[in-house]
Amino acid sequence: MKGTPTGVVAAQILLAFALSSLVGAQTTTTLSGTVKDPKGTPVPSAKVSLKNSSTGQTTEATSDSQGAYHFADLASGEYELTTSASGFETKTDIVHLQSTPQTEDVALTQTGGPSLSDLGFNTADTKGNAEEQARLDKRTHMLKIHQKMGLITAVPLAATIITGFGAGGHQTSSSTRDLHVALGGTTAALYFTTAYFAIRAPKISGTETRGPIRVHRALAWIHGTGMVLTPILGIMAFQQKSRGEHIHGIAQAHGPVAIITGAAYRGAVVSLSEVLTRGVYQGTSSDKLEICVRLLTQP
Amino acid sequence: MNASAFRARFLILAFLVVSPLAFGADSQWVLDQSTLTYHVSHPLHQVDGISHAARGKGVCHAGECDFLIAVPVKTFDSGDSNRDLHMLQVTRGAQYPMVTVRTHLPESAANDAQIHADLDVEFAGQTAHYKDVTFQLSAQGNEKRLSGTIPTKLNDFKIDPPSLLTMPIKNDIPVRVDMTWKQQ
Repeated sequence: MKGTPTGVVAAQILLAFALSSLVGAQTTTTLSGTVKDPKGTPVPSAKVSLKNSSTGQTTEATSDSQGAYHFADLASGEYELTTSASGFETKTDIVHLQSTPQTEDVALTQTGGPSLSDLGFNTADTKGNAEEQARLDKRTHMLKIHQKMGLITAVPLAATIITGFGAGGHQTSSSTRDLHVALGGTTAALYFTTAYFAIRAPKISGTETRGPIRVHRALAWIHGTGMVLTPILGIMAFQQKSRGEHIHGIAQAHGPVAIITGAAYRGAVVSLSEVLTRGVYQGTSSDKLEICVRLLTQP
Repeated sequence: MNASAFRARFLILAFLVVSPLAFGADSQWVLDQSTLTYHVSHPLHQVDGISHAARGKGVCHAGECDFLIAVPVKTFDSGDSNRDLHMLQVTRGAQYPMVTVRTHLPESAANDAQIHADLDVEFAGQTAHYKDVTFQLSAQGNEKRLSGTIPTKLNDFKIDPPSLLTMPIKNDIPVRVDMTWKQQ
């Protein structure tokens, strides 16, 4: 720094500090690990490359004499970690980096033995399909919401049916009917939202439907039809009662259709809860209640 | 045929017969039949998923054999297509469609009643190493029947245990192996 004015040095220090603060503001992390052979012995000089799945940017490293590799200044996200070494099969792992430093050891397989093509598998059998995986992920996500909302819907559905017993008789008040109508409306809104997540969940081609899901789907046709008919019949019955008339005609079917709909809905829920239907479940009623509470309250 | 020609043919024949024994014959084992069964434990119930779709081959040279067994993840059937699709999703079965098992054994192990194998299991994009896994071996004519259990765990493959009724399944998913191998 001979001959450099003190002010310039101070400015440079300040600039460096400011830049480092800006860099520090981005969340970066590190990935390190050890490349090993099938017996756990470190593999030196292995080529390790790390590709960011979002940006496609690739960084490379070489394992040291202890088989160790290290990548620094990585943004969090999904990466493809590809490792290759002489005498070993190239291996690709998917790693999900969080904001904290991560360790990922790589176990390589020695070449020389049979390959998948030796077993008669073709490339289509063995090659991964990221799009199909994304469809599966989306399907599971939507069906989880469907399951949770379906259980939540069961509560106002049951309340609607219970209040219905007191809403249609000769002695009923208009406030009881209003409560019944409000609960019915809430049930319908939740029901169709629940159905949306099942109907719109991606279908996986080439899958033969087996097991309790067949019963669940068959019952959906019954409670689905019932969920359309019940409010229509209910509106007709409500209007007749509001005019001071006895419920007559097709509107009389409102109650029975609602009960069938509720029963089919309950059956659809139970059909998937095989622990409660196949006799495997050994818990008590309070355990079942606890499960229901957990289902409704846990995220 | 004169004597020298007969002697030459005899020597060639003798060489062809003896040489494989002297230098270590190349031989192969092929997986003929298999049943692989994973077992999932949940606080409320138990599930078994079965596949008969495994293919396998063992290549032997100089008394040492390399085996590879592979099975598509989607061929495991638990009796419920909905559960199988969830299992396929959670194990990233579309992205990594095969489970492979590799091992290296001495050819002489085929004569033992019990073998101890070090296995490299590749599943869900991860490889796990299982040391000293015990298998029972029995002879059935020209075939060898192998059975045992691989003590696989979900976290060996970085799989988050899926939940049923908000309760996660156990980390242990032992895979029962029953195989019939034929030597070629």
